[in-house]
Amino acid sequence: MSNIEVRDLHFSYNVGEEILKGINLEFDGRSTAIIGQNGAGKTTFVKLLKGLLKPTSGDVSIKGINTKDTTVAGLAKHIGLVFQNPNDQIFKSKVLDEVIFGPLNIGQKENTARTNSMNALKMVGLSAQSGENPYDLSLSARKLISIASILAMDTEIVIFDEPTIAQDYTGRQNIGNIIKTLRNQGKLVLTIIHDMDFVAEIFERTLVFSQGKVLLDGSTREVYSHYKELYSAYLEPPHVTQLCQKLGYKDTFLTVDEFVEFKRKQI
Amino acid sequence: MKKIIVENLRYRYPLTKELALKDISFEVEKGEFVSIIGRNSAGKSTLCQALTGLIPYFYHGAYGGRVIVDGIEVGKADISQLVSKVGIVFQNPFTQVTGSKLTVYEEIAFGLENMGVSRDEMRKRIDYSLKLLDIYRFRDRNPFELSGGQMQRMAIASIIAMRPEIIVLDEPTSQLDPQGSEEVFKAIRSLSKEGMTIILVEHKIEKVAKYSNRVMLLYDGELVDFDVPHKVFSRDDLGDYGVEPPAFTQICKGLNIKDKETGLYPITLEEAYDLVVKADE
Amino acid sequence: MKSLSLYQEKNTLIHKFDPISKLFYIVAAIAIPIIIPTKTMALFCLAVSVALLLLGRVFGRVIPIISFSFFVLLSIIVVQGLFYYGNSTPIFHAGPLAFYKEGLTYALHICIRVVNILCAFAILILTTRPSDLIESLVRRGLSPRIGYVLSSVLQIIPQMSSTMDTITDAQRSRGMETEGKLLTRIKSFFPLIGPVVMNSLINTKERAMALEVRGFNSKAQKTFLNEEFNPPYNLFVKLFLAASIVFAAAWRIFI
Repeated sequence: MSNIEVRDLHFSYNVGEEILKGINLEFDGRSTAIIGQNGAGKTTFVKLLKGLLKPTSGDVSIKGINTKDTTVAGLAKHIGLVFQNPNDQIFKSKVLDEVIFGPLNIGQKENTARTNSMNALKMVGLSAQSGENPYDLSLSARKLISIASILAMDTEIVIFDEPTIAQDYTGRQNIGNIIKTLRNQGKLVLTIIHDMDFVAEIFERTLVFSQGKVLLDGSTREVYSHYKELYSAYLEPPHVTQLCQKLGYKDTFLTVDEFVEFKRKQI
Repeated sequence: MKKIIVENLRYRYPLTKELALKDISFEVEKGEFVSIIGRNSAGKSTLCQALTGLIPYFYHGAYGGRVIVDGIEVGKADISQLVSKVGIVFQNPFTQVTGSKLTVYEEIAFGLENMGVSRDEMRKRIDYSLKLLDIYRFRDRNPFELSGGQMQRMAIASIIAMRPEIIVLDEPTSQLDPQGSEEVFKAIRSLSKEGMTIILVEHKIEKVAKYSNRVMLLYDGELVDFDVPHKVFSRDDLGDYGVEPPAFTQICKGLNIKDKETGLYPITLEEAYDLVVKADE
Repeated sequence: MKSLSLYQEKNTLIHKFDPISKLFYIVAAIAIPIIIPTKTMALFCLAVSVALLLLGRVFGRVIPIISFSFFVLLSIIVVQGLFYYGNSTPIFHAGPLAFYKEGLTYALHICIRVVNILCAFAILILTTRPSDLIESLVRRGLSPRIGYVLSSVLQIIPQMSSTMDTITDAQRSRGMETEGKLLTRIKSFFPLIGPVVMNSLINTKERAMALEVRGFNSKAQKTFLNEEFNPPYNLFVKLFLAASIVFAAAWRIFI
């Protein structure tokens, strides 16, 4: 049984303006990036997965549970969503209290919740700050707190909404490592993202949304070889891929290391 | 004439112990496109605020050294003298909308009304800014109805209508999607073509490489390097300062492909392509 | 997202009068029935207000505003009907309580004056763009900073509702219930109000910086993009209203 099943999903906020026009997808276990320009329906899609919105027609099933049959809180045990702006969720005056809020809500016992929270803080590198006030820390740190608050809920599925926005190089590395760890733990990781280089490094599968439909769906390598479709959706492949395309290579290269290794072997 | 002169600038935010800027000195020529890079909390935003007078007027705190823009010393001038010399655009398009105007046209007039510009002059400047930023067709729309990229271009238009010759942009595309980012970079290029002096803080390092005349590297409040992009990105120790060179530079560093004449690595797609092709021959 | 306002976009004569004239009208509508406190004058003023509302084609919108004050008016009628000091002629009984003619008449007089004042305000609010009103006041000396706060609040508050939605979504995503028993709803208050307040504070600070670099605190004499459309009839109206008040005072003193 796949983790997430989406069948003929249609969604409109207002009558006559369809945002999602018939989406059919299955998410097995591969980490997946959802890319596309703003307005293509990515955020709406993710909200439908999370149960925050209900389909106008069609079905979304998370681990066999239809989202129409349950509340958001009911699904929160299985599927976590890290929102883009940490300031939209942080309200406790201690980092640990903020992180433990989610686990307690979904019914974890006090001890389990505490252990999970401390582990989550360790994973994001904020164990030492567990007693501090989130607003005394930097915006990057608060982003990590919001990530930890979802990791502590120990859901099988974790969705990130623009995790690398406003992050510097170290921040991106950090978040990349967190996602790799989640993958190794067997969790299904999805993300909405604009950073093509980051997608190429971290995500196995890529979905391109355009005007409410799935334009491209496949392994990241495959998707990034479809230059024409990408440009039509106002997207660019990663910089490495662009260089290799120009150099005339048939293969699609995703990362600097990959290409450098290939060239070294040639020599 | 040097457009910007910074001498031994030191600054500490109120209620903090560490200096945010430690003895920074540099000069910028008229019409230069300078990008500032560095990891978060390196002092990039702080420096932007010091160039525009927000430090020390909006952010009080311990201030030392001198900043001179267009001949005026920032620390001794009135902020209303400075707004016509240097403008600044911030990261968040939404909080740069005043909220008190109902159309984009009136929104751009806001700064000009504050400065007491005559009506005819106002109209001329607003039309010019709208057209330069390619948002003329949105002039009658409500500012809050614009997309992120359009809102950010409106913010830039609002600033250049006040006719500063220097414009500082602090991560203007951080919160925008690729299309919005592209629109803003195109707009900044137009400004540069018009002869404006540009100071840009950016993480999108390939864009920095493409457009800058010089790149400034900050770390921990200190100025580590300020040179042409090829020299800065060819450094071996960028990782120590929390910065990565463009992907094209990284590839050539990995393959040890340099420009034979300058001894420096390429920084753009075209340059990398040329050198790789040559190396293959 | 719309801005907060009751303005009705129409092209009537009343819409054409400038906001300051309408402010003068409000003053006159309050002052004249006080200066000449007869029921006839109160009714006359009310009739004028209603006529202006009809001319402005906004009379229909006034009904909700009046009914809003319905309970206040009703309580005035009941209280005065029962307890007015000059009560002597009972008109009808409701159980053991007697309602008196004098009290009811007095109450009716008050109600007419209150409704008149509401109508006068309605004329201003329903036929004037808030931004025009605020700009008129700033032109005449209202601090531009206060003017800015007044006009920006009208657009920024509706914007906050979408942030509110995102915050609610974020907390619901972490398992917080927002629907159900009253206790549940009360418990959900803090996880929602914290981020709303913090976001507002952060946004306000960022906006203050953006305003600063647009010369908000400049001491230069402010100019205005829009020409003030101020035809002579506005001055005539203001003089007429001012004269009415003076005339009413004279009438009262000498007659």
